[in-house]
Amino acid sequence: MNGWMGKIIQIDLGSNRQQALPVTPETLRRFLGGRGLGVKLYTDLCPDPLDPFAAENALIFMTGPLTGTVMTSGRYQVVSRSPLTGTICDSSSGGSFGAVLKSAGLDGLVIRGRADHPVYLFINDGGIEVRDAADLWGLNTQQTQKAIHERTPAKTSVACIGPAGENRVPFAAIMNDRDRAAGRGGMGAIMGSKNLKAVAASGNRAVVIADPEAYQAMNARLDRAVDKNPVTGKSLQVLGTPVLVNVINAHGMFPTRNFRSGVFNDAEGISGEKIAETLLQRQSACYKCPIGCGRTTKTRNRQGEGPEYETVWAFGAQLGISDLTAIAEANYACNELGLDTITMGSTIGCAMELHEAGALGEKMLWGDANRLVGWVQDTACRRGFGAELGLGSRRLAAKYGRPELAMQVKGMEIPAYDPRGAQGMALSYATSNRGGCHMRGYMIMPEILGHPVFLDRFSTAGKPEIVALFQDIAAVVDSAILCRFLQFAMGISTFSEMLRAVTGLDFSDEELLTAGRRIYTLERLFNNRAGFMRADDTLPPRFFQEEFQTGSSRHRRVRLEEMLDAYYAVRGWDAQGAPSAATLAELGL
Amino acid sequence: MIDLDKETLVKMIDHTELSAHSGEKKIANLCGEARSFGFYTVCINGGYTRYAFEKLQGSGVLVCTVVGFPLGAGTPTAKAFEAAEAVKNGAAEIDMVIHVGALRDRKLDLVRDDIRAVVDASGPALVKVILETCFLTDEEIVSGCRLSVEAGAKFVKTSTGFGAFGAFPDHVRLMRRTVGPDIGVKASGGIRNFKDAWRLIRAGASRLGVSSSVAIVEGLSLYKFAPAAWLEEEIPCHFCPSRFASIDKQPKAVYAYYKKKCQSCPHLEPFNKFYE
Repeated sequence: MNGWMGKIIQIDLGSNRQQALPVTPETLRRFLGGRGLGVKLYTDLCPDPLDPFAAENALIFMTGPLTGTVMTSGRYQVVSRSPLTGTICDSSSGGSFGAVLKSAGLDGLVIRGRADHPVYLFINDGGIEVRDAADLWGLNTQQTQKAIHERTPAKTSVACIGPAGENRVPFAAIMNDRDRAAGRGGMGAIMGSKNLKAVAASGNRAVVIADPEAYQAMNARLDRAVDKNPVTGKSLQVLGTPVLVNVINAHGMFPTRNFRSGVFNDAEGISGEKIAETLLQRQSACYKCPIGCGRTTKTRNRQGEGPEYETVWAFGAQLGISDLTAIAEANYACNELGLDTITMGSTIGCAMELHEAGALGEKMLWGDANRLVGWVQDTACRRGFGAELGLGSRRLAAKYGRPELAMQVKGMEIPAYDPRGAQGMALSYATSNRGGCHMRGYMIMPEILGHPVFLDRFSTAGKPEIVALFQDIAAVVDSAILCRFLQFAMGISTFSEMLRAVTGLDFSDEELLTAGRRIYTLERLFNNRAGFMRADDTLPPRFFQEEFQTGSSRHRRVRLEEMLDAYYAVRGWDAQGAPSAATLAELGL
Repeated sequence: MIDLDKETLVKMIDHTELSAHSGEKKIANLCGEARSFGFYTVCINGGYTRYAFEKLQGSGVLVCTVVGFPLGAGTPTAKAFEAAEAVKNGAAEIDMVIHVGALRDRKLDLVRDDIRAVVDASGPALVKVILETCFLTDEEIVSGCRLSVEAGAKFVKTSTGFGAFGAFPDHVRLMRRTVGPDIGVKASGGIRNFKDAWRLIRAGASRLGVSSSVAIVEGLSLYKFAPAAWLEEEIPCHFCPSRFASIDKQPKAVYAYYKKKCQSCPHLEPFNKFYE
């Protein structure tokens, strides 16, 4: 089989029973792999929404047809129902774990049931072994990886949870290759609920390439494209993702103090440029990645990975903190404990505003850098006020009677782009299938960075079509699976060429985008069944009611209602946001 | 609607790499991309003409070499020598920079002779004249176009990419109106994506000088999936030279000229209303 390994295994941790799940060639072609095939498998196995922590709930690790082939193809996706949002969720991570999992012989691994004691899975050349992990329980993610590396062959890659996942914090991450995170949506908590500490993979199986000549030519072309593009060839390499701090701040949409301002006066002090001047030790890169957006950094006391842009924001501007060392060390703590930095930082910001508003007694003050690492540790261990922070912002704000102060969509915290500064981004957040996420349809590309074209960020005209298009492209890239940054250097036609070269199937641009739309619609169907309808495709009231008074996004509000009906029409959904029968028939769902 | 296919678009592109710091690897990549996409030429500095010519043997992609670049203020003799040397090394097209200072001083004979010297020295190679529109008023642009045609050039071109700003539809439209349908108009500088390119093509550009060529071609493939949305009506100020006028980078008279144009522009009021 070209591209795919032809093997997806389901393992029940309760009984240790393993079975191969058959997938037809037609299904592979329609859902590709990664996020798409993961969602397809999940919704087939768990058609009715389950408690995410129920033993029968499925947690699915997926690779894609491009995994282990061209540049940036070390990624993997994890699919399940999110304990943070209740929506379908897929979480993506870089590093090399995806490529190694595939070299171990698997396209995917479906985990169900609950072990009666802590275990980890060791996958070696297609075989899966359940191993005892009692002595690993309680270790942080780096200690866990180190311990498993000592027990497994060289070049084993490990994806694991830390204390946050063990304690089922609903935004616990899965960490791999030291500090790479499948961060969003709490997939780590589901691992914890299954008593599954880690998945380790090792193998030597090569991906079979259908057209080696075209594949070589494509690799050379990708090298040139990435090198030439100013984002992938320069900005991300030199400054990492925090290059965006000054850019987004200059656009007046760098959310500050729980989204009450779009300009952070100390942005320069937490920018990518400042990190390069102070903390940066070296650039780091994922599997076969020529970009290398990762930052290995060092503070006076610690060394680690990051922070990347969203984390700089979450522990910086969102909290009114301009102490770069504190931000970096909070990030290290999240990596070690296994927490999503965006939800963590945004929830602390929500608590700070609750305290300021008099709704929360706990003393949470803007700019308090000294307690930041402590809050992270307490959250992971669910101790003291950390148990409250561990609820996530939606549940926390609701508990204290001010639900409007949680900056979330469907329960997932909105990241570092204020939607008042980009109407397309607002629509993308509101309609995202996994909640407040920038990666479902990254409208910052056209609205701020001018790629592939510059769109007026304050206009709503044409945005429904473009948002749907970007969401569909993202679904394709997440299913193929490659790094989203490649989108700066290449378009959909290059992705279809790559898939043709690797799989030998004659994918057209149209077929791929239809696959993206099919995946997005299938996710939506699940969300509809879980109760998410039009009323949930919205944003916190702040974005409709309050305007910034300074900065270049001042006097702006989100105009979602101008776009939502048109978006549903583009998608072929009814007025309540449910896919129509005709749409389902067209997509073969 | 966009009535442009990929094959036509790639043949309108001079795939360009003119940075002072570009080494052989960049030029080799440029040629590789031009080969794989079938661009019309690669546009490079003279020192790489022979290298690029050899890299492109058999590909059908031509070499275009810049002359008097980027300032244009050298002597006609020096420019002519540079052009002849480039043609000898394999250049099929020459992009020369006009003597901007002489044009602004209205030393029109000098400007014409300067261009003619390059045309004569270039033999069979096609000559394009870079006006560097960012330093000129509309009247001077018209004058530069006429002098170029009189001196035997086959193309007029907007910009070097090293000036205060690059190509704008207003300038391309003016140049096309001045030279008529039989002379080429090349837009260059600041063209980063398909939408930029499409605006300039609609304004009358028959050639594009771009380094983001691959992104532009890939952009065309995206358009077909939501054409109406990509081509929503835009506020003209977003691509008007007056808005990009810079007191730091332009002669003060030219800067004042562009700002003065804003005062009588019908687009100013809706623009301000939208942004405030």
